[in-house]
Amino acid sequence: MDYNEQLRLQAFLDGELPEAEASKVANWLARDREAAAMLEELRHTCDALAGSEEGIQLPESREFFWSKVQREIQRLEAPAPRSAPAPLFARWRRFLVPASALALVFVAAVWLIQPAGQTGGTAAGDIETALANAGAFTYRDYSAGATLVWISYPADNEIAESDEMGTVD
Amino acid sequence: MKLQAFLLWGTDDVKPPEGKAYKPVAPEIRLKLKDLPLKWTNWFEVNRKDFSLAQSATKEVPISDKCTLNLTRFIHHEVEITLIGKGKEVVKRKQSLPKGEMLVLGGNAPNSTAWLLVLKRLE
Repeated sequence: MDYNEQLRLQAFLDGELPEAEASKVANWLARDREAAAMLEELRHTCDALAGSEEGIQLPESREFFWSKVQREIQRLEAPAPRSAPAPLFARWRRFLVPASALALVFVAAVWLIQPAGQTGGTAAGDIETALANAGAFTYRDYSAGATLVWISYPADNEIAESDEMGTVD
Repeated sequence: MKLQAFLLWGTDDVKPPEGKAYKPVAPEIRLKLKDLPLKWTNWFEVNRKDFSLAQSATKEVPISDKCTLNLTRFIHHEVEITLIGKGKEVVKRKQSLPKGEMLVLGGNAPNSTAWLLVLKRLE
């Protein structure tokens, strides 16, 4: 007896066959002892299981339980809501943020790189041309709005007199 | 463009040298000098000059017997400043000088003092 014939017998036992099919199986059982023995064995197995298996009591009614299952299935099968197209600014922001960061890095690099021979915070717009003394120090205070250019001359320079009073006039 | 040029003397002494009638520097200048990395505690005004500089003009401003300030005005707020001491160019600088901005040129002087030339734009 093959697997399909065993399934037919199980379905016959469970009363799941249509009337015409069930009639055919009944005729087959009358002719085939092996089939009849198989059916009897299946019947005994069902009886044994029916007696020993305790029913599971749901905390809720059958209808409510299955309605929950149905709702969950519908939720999972529901198509994802189509998101509204992103506003133009949001789309451009993807490019603006990294572009702005790059621009800031470039400006900072230009700001921080000082020409050789010059120290301190010189504003980008300032141009220092020739210096009689290359050892000058430049300091820029943006909050005070002042720029200091310190010329590292020795004390007896062209501006200050080298007398004991150290006057500058 | 209206400018003011001050020649200042910096020292840690509380008063100027004897015989010199230097007056203490103007308070607004003093306040700005405090924000600069200058170690001297007291500043005295040796000389002051007020002058105007027209567009594209060059002006020579004597600050003292020994030093002269040459200024050339360019477009926008750009000014080129050349400090001449005893006939020699001490420093030349070209920069933007908007209203209220101050340029300070300075150096050491004898006896651990200092000199400053402050150029301030008034208008």
